[in-house]
Amino acid sequence: MDSKKAVHIYHRNLTILLGLILLVFILVPTMVKSPYILNIFVLMFYMSTLSMAWNLLGGMTGQNSLGHAAYMGLGAYACCLLVVKTGANPWLAAIFGMVVVGLVAGIVFYPCFILRGPYFTLVSIAFGESIRQLIINSEFFGRASGVGLPFGNDSWLNFRFGSKVPYYYVGLIMVVGIYLIMKKIDRSKMGFALKTIREDEDAAAAIGINPTKYKIIAVVISAMVAGLVGFFYASYIRYIDPDLMLQVKSTESVLPAVVGGAAFVEGPLIGGLIMIPLSEYLRANFSAMLPGINMLMYAVVLLVVIRFRPTGILGWYMHSNVKKMIDEKILKKPSSEVLEEVETLEYQREEA
Amino acid sequence: MAEVPMLEVQNITKRFKGLTAVKNVSFSIKQGGITGMIGPNGAGKSTTFNMICGYYPPTEGKIFYKGEDITEKKAFEYTNMKIARTFQIMKPLKNLSVLDNVIASSYFGHAGAKNAKEARERAMDVLQFTGLFEKRHVLSKDMGTPDQKRLEMARALATKPEMLFLDENMAGLNPAETEEAIHLIRKINESGVTILLIEHIMQAVVSLCEEVIVLHHGEKIAEGTPEQVMNDPYVMEVYLGMKKEDAHA
Amino acid sequence: MSMFLQACVNGLLMGGFYALMGMGQNIIFGVMKIVNFCHGEMLMVGMYLTLILYTYFGVDPYLAVPLVALVMFCFGAVIQHTLITPSLGTKSFTNLLFLTVGLGLLLSNGALVIFGSEYRSIRTGYSQTYIQLGPVNMALPRLISFGVLIVVAITLFAFLKYSTLGKQIRAVSQNPVGAEVVGIDVKKIYLLTYGLGVALAGIAGALLTQFYTVFPTAGASFGLRALIVVVVGGLGSIPGAFLAGIFLGLLETMSALFISPSYSDLIVFMTFIIILVLRQTIIARRR
Repeated sequence: MDSKKAVHIYHRNLTILLGLILLVFILVPTMVKSPYILNIFVLMFYMSTLSMAWNLLGGMTGQNSLGHAAYMGLGAYACCLLVVKTGANPWLAAIFGMVVVGLVAGIVFYPCFILRGPYFTLVSIAFGESIRQLIINSEFFGRASGVGLPFGNDSWLNFRFGSKVPYYYVGLIMVVGIYLIMKKIDRSKMGFALKTIREDEDAAAAIGINPTKYKIIAVVISAMVAGLVGFFYASYIRYIDPDLMLQVKSTESVLPAVVGGAAFVEGPLIGGLIMIPLSEYLRANFSAMLPGINMLMYAVVLLVVIRFRPTGILGWYMHSNVKKMIDEKILKKPSSEVLEEVETLEYQREEA
Repeated sequence: MAEVPMLEVQNITKRFKGLTAVKNVSFSIKQGGITGMIGPNGAGKSTTFNMICGYYPPTEGKIFYKGEDITEKKAFEYTNMKIARTFQIMKPLKNLSVLDNVIASSYFGHAGAKNAKEARERAMDVLQFTGLFEKRHVLSKDMGTPDQKRLEMARALATKPEMLFLDENMAGLNPAETEEAIHLIRKINESGVTILLIEHIMQAVVSLCEEVIVLHHGEKIAEGTPEQVMNDPYVMEVYLGMKKEDAHA
Repeated sequence: MSMFLQACVNGLLMGGFYALMGMGQNIIFGVMKIVNFCHGEMLMVGMYLTLILYTYFGVDPYLAVPLVALVMFCFGAVIQHTLITPSLGTKSFTNLLFLTVGLGLLLSNGALVIFGSEYRSIRTGYSQTYIQLGPVNMALPRLISFGVLIVVAITLFAFLKYSTLGKQIRAVSQNPVGAEVVGIDVKKIYLLTYGLGVALAGIAGALLTQFYTVFPTAGASFGLRALIVVVVGGLGSIPGAFLAGIFLGLLETMSALFISPSYSDLIVFMTFIIILVLRQTIIARRR
């Protein structure tokens, strides 16, 4: 009974800690007034969300896409054009954008999923470039000069604000919401299917998983989340152009996940939390003298992580003494023997 | 029931760009037994297996399961027909724990678990059955060969099959481990699962199987009880001759 | 008609570069089974090297070619030794992919930090010399470059086919374990292969400088096209890569001539996707 209690306390402490972290994020705008700092937070929220979208496909399913900027851009374009051409409400346009991106991704990648390994990556690059070229060449999409959203008074209905605070909260809701969805997927039937496909497609087929079906579902969900980020980006910046879909932007969307740890649902969040502020700091302070310094830093961090911590920051943390200390001192985590004992007890009770 | 065999293979042939790996092989397996398939390396055992399991269709011939033609079925449709398989080269989900490996299987197949609780419970049951319960939180890549072979079987069993294909499940095990594996396979069979296995270890085949099929150069050269097959002069020449030249085969 | 012929020749001359890039990418993929996503950036580094040699030391761009090739070879070997070989052990395709992607970022942004974003070019005494051949007009540097490309391609082909080292490279690409067993130093071959691949990209960069501007992202479009060439030409096939490169160059100029120059990129990428999917479908069916 004691061991059960210990496990219970551990779970409670874990919930409290996560709640506290969330509370800090909720309180930030009441304490921080600088638009510059708030902007970094907003950037962090949507880049982490985009990276989570990538991680569903790359980290969980093992399909390394390098075209996520194109999904995001496509979502942004679909929303903006609907708003500009028909005067639709931006929130409705967001749903429209997500559906469009999901459909396009599903249709385009359906035939591509007979391709395994590097081929998928190559097709995702070619797909991204094709979309960008299509937009640059089309009058309807505003060619290379892009599309601007109408300006006007602040309003929730039109998701339009001069202040950054509302964007902060919507961004926070988006990142937390998508995280919860990803966490749910990770522990569900679908998550197990995707992870099995990542490890071995033949093994997946042997237990009754249709690899093509699940890969399509993953690509559609991933693209829809990226489309949602596109909507948020467009509403925040209020102007979009085809440079949004440059190849390097796709790479940028991958970095938080790989640096944070692509095998973990939390990887993109941790990676984003570290990489985005660092990058923005460098951009603000040095880019006048040395353009490209922030991306150079990205590249160096990426190479160092891959070379010395191949499982990312979280992969390193999971086996580190820091985690051990936090688990024991703050969370009062019981030893693994106790945890297993409780698990066995519960299992045997179910049996009886 | 006894009229229709569990599995019936009719004249299957497989050609890879001019090389005939399997030539005109037919056999049938009745419900409830353990059948062994033996033959020297390159005899076409794995090719036959892969054709039966839907990894590639036979060039010619038909495969029936409980009277139904399954020749053109895809690999992922098999667990829905209550058929499961293991791989000769083990394919554990390396970066997942043993428990998660088996939970993944519990979700799929004809009786796929409806929710996380059911999947977890079934996985725990299977782990207890296969003797991996104590190791459930170990990452599967950190386990030794005998446990990985066991895990292969556990993952197949979690789909609740009525027919199980085992591809060299005892290769690389020492005598004590082989004995344990034989015990487990018999236990699986006694729980009502029909088994077809490929094996090199004769001790295992003799002690487990009621029926043995011998392949050589892609053709079936003998069929019968282990005693009948072992005393067949052609089998002795092919099989034992091979063993002398190539001891590790 | 003369426009068509001119487009043919231009496509051929450009296709040579794609072919060279594709051949480099192809050896790397063939031997290590990794896609070198910084191949275009390696071309860019080759361009800047040539630029430095020309501006500070007055070396003619064509005389610089062997020097650039040597430097790039060493550069590639160092990268292979310090970054790629250690990561090959983890057997994680994702990591290897982002390793080369990260290298690409490092190189293009490194160039941006060092040289700035200005467009630079090299103008030698013969840069503007044209040769009239019937209805077709050809810039002399393009013609020389093409000649050098052909020589390099043939040398490479002969090297892989007949030299001992070339045979070892082919052995490793077919079966690394088997190659190791017969006594080939696989790590050395990896070093050599990556160095060779990078040197080919560097040569392409050096040859480009007289009629293409030098800037930090100059290699991107060549890098993408190298990937296309490899896939369309067939993995591991050097002649295939050569033909696919020429095909790609012709496709570009033809679509520019018959449809619109601004659509040529789009057409190239779409053709790539279609060829790739069609071929894989056929392979899957045949199984």
